[in-house]
Amino acid sequence: MSIKLLFQLSIRNILRHRRRNLMLFSAIAVAVAGVSSANTLIRGMQYDMLNSAVENLTGHIKIHAPGYRDDPNIDKGFSLEDGFTLPVEPEEMLGWAARIRIPAVIMSERETRGVQIVGIDPASEHISFLSDVPIDGEGLTDSKDGRILIGKELALQLETRIGRRIVIITQGIDGKNREKGYRIVGTYDAEGKTLEKIYVFTGLASLQSLLDSRDVTEVSIRLHEEPKKPSIKDMLSEVFGNLAVLDWQELEPMAAAMYLFADSAIYIWFLLMMSALIFGLINTLITSVMERVRELGLVRALGMPKRMVVTQVVLESTIIMAIGVLIGLVAGYLIYLSIADGINLDAFAEGMEMMTMSTRFIPVLVWDDFVLVAVLSLVLGVMASIYPAWRAVRVKPLDAIGR
Amino acid sequence: MASNQHILITGDEARKRPKVDRLSLTIISLAWRNLWRNKRRTWLTVAGVAFAVWLLIFGRSAQEGTFMTMVDNGARMMTGHMQVQHVGYEEDPGIENTVNLGNLIESIRIVPGVDHVSARAHGFALVSQGERSFGAQILGVDPEAEGQWSTLKGMLAQGRYPSAPGEAMIGATLARNLALDVGSEMIVLGTALQGGVAAMSVQISGIFDMTQPELNRSLVVVHLDDFREAWAMSRNEAHTIVVVTQDVAASDRALEIIREKIDPNKQVLLGWRDLMPEVEQMMDMKSVSTEVIFLVLAIIVTFSVVNTFMMVVFERTPEFGVLQAIGMQLKYLRWQLQIEAFMLSALGIAVGFGLSWALILGVGDEGLPAPIPEDAEAFYARFNMGTHIMLKFDWQAFRTASWVFLIGIQLAALLPGWRLRKLRPVDAIRQET
Repeated sequence: MSIKLLFQLSIRNILRHRRRNLMLFSAIAVAVAGVSSANTLIRGMQYDMLNSAVENLTGHIKIHAPGYRDDPNIDKGFSLEDGFTLPVEPEEMLGWAARIRIPAVIMSERETRGVQIVGIDPASEHISFLSDVPIDGEGLTDSKDGRILIGKELALQLETRIGRRIVIITQGIDGKNREKGYRIVGTYDAEGKTLEKIYVFTGLASLQSLLDSRDVTEVSIRLHEEPKKPSIKDMLSEVFGNLAVLDWQELEPMAAAMYLFADSAIYIWFLLMMSALIFGLINTLITSVMERVRELGLVRALGMPKRMVVTQVVLESTIIMAIGVLIGLVAGYLIYLSIADGINLDAFAEGMEMMTMSTRFIPVLVWDDFVLVAVLSLVLGVMASIYPAWRAVRVKPLDAIGR
Repeated sequence: MASNQHILITGDEARKRPKVDRLSLTIISLAWRNLWRNKRRTWLTVAGVAFAVWLLIFGRSAQEGTFMTMVDNGARMMTGHMQVQHVGYEEDPGIENTVNLGNLIESIRIVPGVDHVSARAHGFALVSQGERSFGAQILGVDPEAEGQWSTLKGMLAQGRYPSAPGEAMIGATLARNLALDVGSEMIVLGTALQGGVAAMSVQISGIFDMTQPELNRSLVVVHLDDFREAWAMSRNEAHTIVVVTQDVAASDRALEIIREKIDPNKQVLLGWRDLMPEVEQMMDMKSVSTEVIFLVLAIIVTFSVVNTFMMVVFERTPEFGVLQAIGMQLKYLRWQLQIEAFMLSALGIAVGFGLSWALILGVGDEGLPAPIPEDAEAFYARFNMGTHIMLKFDWQAFRTASWVFLIGIQLAALLPGWRLRKLRPVDAIRQET
């Protein structure tokens, strides 16, 4: 007797009760569609967190002088030789930027706030959020630009506006305070107010001359692909032996925790939905076995070995699951397509910001997740058939036929 | 109802007793017996419903508990459960927008549920030591009052909570940036009213290490009297009155009573929903996702139940044929199915309720240890979440679950019941089992 025969038997058993099995397929399909489309949302959330984390000046990898993170000052900077290029293949990264980032006090005529002043070369900032956000007024032109770009929210708090002057006080290389008046060239409108309140930008070379230093405090690197990160990080650690080479998980532990959490959320979802489903599946399989007691007795009497009876029940369960999963995955994909443009979460802006996420929520389809759902469901289908199969094997040929 | 159709009640009996009652009782007992004809199937179906009910109640209870802990911890760390502010202060937190205290503090303190009330002042200033200066948020507090409830005390890395004028407490990052230790002097320079200079010198009595990096970098807590002196505020002025209640529920009850006590033209009362909008939004967002989960669960369970009933009808077709042949009306067969469905759902809901109740009671006041992934402690602390999830039985979730499953399962029984219309007694009786 071949597997082909068992396969035929299973299919026919399923076809015997089309309507009943149709319900079962629908239940499985709803569960699978729910899980797989929810997965695209969870993945979207995860990618978004990663993006926000690496975009807000962190990058995938960052190089600091040791001690900078404890005491962010220009005397914890490091120098890059003229015409320095990063020893990473250009096709592997989106770009890199050298910056100075140090605490400063900003004063308008009316208010005083604490901020981080960031000296940048605008040409290399396509790797950070600065290139994506709308700017009122002008942006910075080059590294020598001695004007200042501040956040919209900060401008409101300082009761100042574009074109007005503000004063920056910060600490120079000698530990003494520097004070300089800046003209506000423009204001940027980031997604969250936190960024707008913290960062003010000016030209790197101009900030260096204010601080009497030729150093930078960080080099930030944005890669194309997250998975390439560890090898590049190791390589950079060797090249910059005396500096601290850190990845975004080390720099943003909060976002990293959320990122990890999303991975387990996918399994939790699956487990919940499928647990609700499994009762119905077992129920149907048992009924299907009990209905066939006489039949099973007959085939056993005719010499069908026990293991074939078991295989047949398991096969039946697996086929039911496979059909349901297939419908479910197609439905899940269709749901994904219908929301692929993104969901607007403006109403939850502050909550999202707290979770370091943006308010436009784009689902991300990861085929591996679909495969995972399919494989796990089939495993579950086999598990659900264990008890019914055991019942089927216990059928005693004589009793069954004599019933 | 014509009596000749009531096949179960005949002759004299039918004339003596109220017909409908007798009939209903018969149908109910038939339904009950049918339910237990196939114990395994009934229990499996009940287990499916119970699991879904349990999941919903437990999920919502854990969620509510987590959020309430977040709000409570957040309130006791910084914001309080409620604040009274000058009407314009939230828009423009300028130093001039103060609240006139009067006897407001005393009158709020007597509101039931209120634990602590105290005044605060806020400002921005340049803090410096030697050549180094940084911008900082200055918070003037009444240390005697706030020392009783503030969890900031527990976050002291060094030193102690300030107790007398002239003392201050600062964040660990700021202390490092300014190279300050406990006992060092620090200069505070700000802008007072009318562009005057607000200046004071304070001694560091404590250094706190909070989970919020921005507060570690920029928060300075000083004595309210020092603040008032430096910023030229009178003893009757403050920027906020902070109200701490027994718990979140008490705060919701006290809110309206306190609102009566303030002057709505000059003052505004902010509840924790205003003070921590991000928490409320997270709650709303989570609720949306819970509803989606619940919807999917409800559909899955309902389909499973439809399936069970299809099997029931299929198995009992011959029997239904006999009943019909001897004159039982179709509608009573359908009724019987609906009653069976009701019993099934009631059982499922009861078991689910029992399980949730037992779990929540079992966990008790200690809470369930939160599943904190490795390296995520900071993340939990960031959201003011505790290491334990407090479970608070969510009646709303129980009610929703009950209604959804009662109705869903009634609908589930309708479909197979509807199929009975095609039943032909002769064919039905002949059908092989």
